[in-house]
Amino acid sequence: MSNTRTREGEKICFDVIVVGAGLAGSTAAAIAARGGLKVALVERGQNPGGKNFFGGAVYTHALEEIYPDFWDRKPPLERPVTEAGFWFLSQDGLSKMTVQGGKLKRPSSTNGNGGQTSASANPGPTSDAYVALRARFASWLAEQAQKEGALIIPKTTVLDFMHEPGGRVIGVKTDRPQGDIYAPITIVCEGVNNLLTQKLGLIKHDLKPSTVALGVKQLISLPTETINARFGLADQNHGLAVSVMGDVSMGLTGLGFVYTGNECVSVGLGVNLDLLAENHLRPYDLLQRYLNHPAIAPLIAGGKLMEYGAHLIPEGGWRQMPRLFTDGVMVAGDAATMVNALHWEGTNMAIIAGKAAGETAVQAHTMRDYSAATLSLYRDNLKNRFVLQDLYQYRNLSNFLEHHPQFMDVYPAFLNDALGMFFSGFGVPKKTLYRDILRSFTSRRPLIQAVGDMVSFGKSVMGW
Amino acid sequence: MVTKNVDLHKNGSKKMGEDLPEVYIDDILMSLKYYIDEHDAHLQLIEPDVCISCENKDCTYFCPVGAYRQQEDGRVLIAYQSCIECGSCRVMCPHNNVLWKFPRGGFGVAYKFG
Repeated sequence: MSNTRTREGEKICFDVIVVGAGLAGSTAAAIAARGGLKVALVERGQNPGGKNFFGGAVYTHALEEIYPDFWDRKPPLERPVTEAGFWFLSQDGLSKMTVQGGKLKRPSSTNGNGGQTSASANPGPTSDAYVALRARFASWLAEQAQKEGALIIPKTTVLDFMHEPGGRVIGVKTDRPQGDIYAPITIVCEGVNNLLTQKLGLIKHDLKPSTVALGVKQLISLPTETINARFGLADQNHGLAVSVMGDVSMGLTGLGFVYTGNECVSVGLGVNLDLLAENHLRPYDLLQRYLNHPAIAPLIAGGKLMEYGAHLIPEGGWRQMPRLFTDGVMVAGDAATMVNALHWEGTNMAIIAGKAAGETAVQAHTMRDYSAATLSLYRDNLKNRFVLQDLYQYRNLSNFLEHHPQFMDVYPAFLNDALGMFFSGFGVPKKTLYRDILRSFTSRRPLIQAVGDMVSFGKSVMGW
Repeated sequence: MVTKNVDLHKNGSKKMGEDLPEVYIDDILMSLKYYIDEHDAHLQLIEPDVCISCENKDCTYFCPVGAYRQQEDGRVLIAYQSCIECGSCRVMCPHNNVLWKFPRGGFGVAYKFG
């Protein structure tokens, strides 16, 4: 295997071109290179990771599948997620439903910060999820692809494809002088703004505003000890990841989040783009309102803004998914709407899809057949995994939330009220207390409608 | 600062957003690193007059870096230098009036942490 490009006359040729060195792209490139292919990993940023942005957490099950020895490779992970769940905000209150221990695996014995100190390759039981800083993580993942033999070509934007007369894609045009690169297979991992995927006609339209959320986030620096104290975490081997519902998005379809890093806290929210626009809300104002919430503000008080950012989240799922392959091309990651908004999965889907695409590229080269028929193996692979199975199961989720905004405001507010009343009803006859709690509910949402909400939640989301 | 009472419902009497805290986005953007392409604006209005007659000018609100700003004469100007390439303006513009490209290779936002 060689990692140098070959020139046939003026042509720069590879076995595989991967567009975008994000999580899907770097994984696809690594797997293809490991399979003996000559891989160009083309990245438009200064370096891999520079265009990547998320909440967020990464999941070790996906990493382990690609790199069983990933601990030895010192991934730049922050804290393991040892507490996870939902926070429900009312206007001035907060109820929590989180889990620690139990099914959440115990924290690892390492400090998570890539600081694998024990000599053993196996650090023992590790947490399923780790908080991470996305740019650093993506940069590390791209380095792993490089170690497998892929050639990273940074600072290069792919503009278009080259086709053979029959239409099959045989390479890409970049914005570099003499920047055409040829390969029988191109794996498109261009991210949520899937302009190349659109150009190929794999999806007939641009993203629809109602199917994307705009995520905005502030990364706030705080001393480790302060984070431990404020979030009730024993030490740096304990971390928190929560979805925040309720008075985060002013009743609009959206969710907030909080993740604790080693010396930083990630606080942000995602709201449907069309609702933001329609209501003339500035996303950074909405974020600041959330940061000012009386239950959130003390957690980040005195912290310094490390980085602000924003990114679209493709929440259209199954119904907005482009065709995943065509002659000479496969599409993976955000470009293929591989996001599960409810479970905050996306990084793992991208990695697993990248792996499947890389494997399919190797198979196609073995068969010397780069047609859509062969590349359909990629989709078949994902059909047998949680990636396409979950996206299919949740195919009605975004539609459901759009039509049931009460899950965003009414229920979280009630929960806060009910708990607040229950735990402050001292000296009140309990019959009165329960009547008041029930009234607090029915004044917001008649019981019959609530039953309907639950049934349609079951139908649309749980697949009952 | 404590959040003031806000009307949660769209059809409420109050316009949503009235009670939101005042944020100086330019201060917040100081936390970001950019490689600015002085020679090529990757965002452009296809037909600037369309924006002048655009009633709602939603882009001057939802853009997460406030890159779209309305001028006193009704024109909309884009500060492409502060764009973080999210794509919202392309997706959301009701008149499809945004010519949206990725910045040239190496240019644009460069997240340090992401």
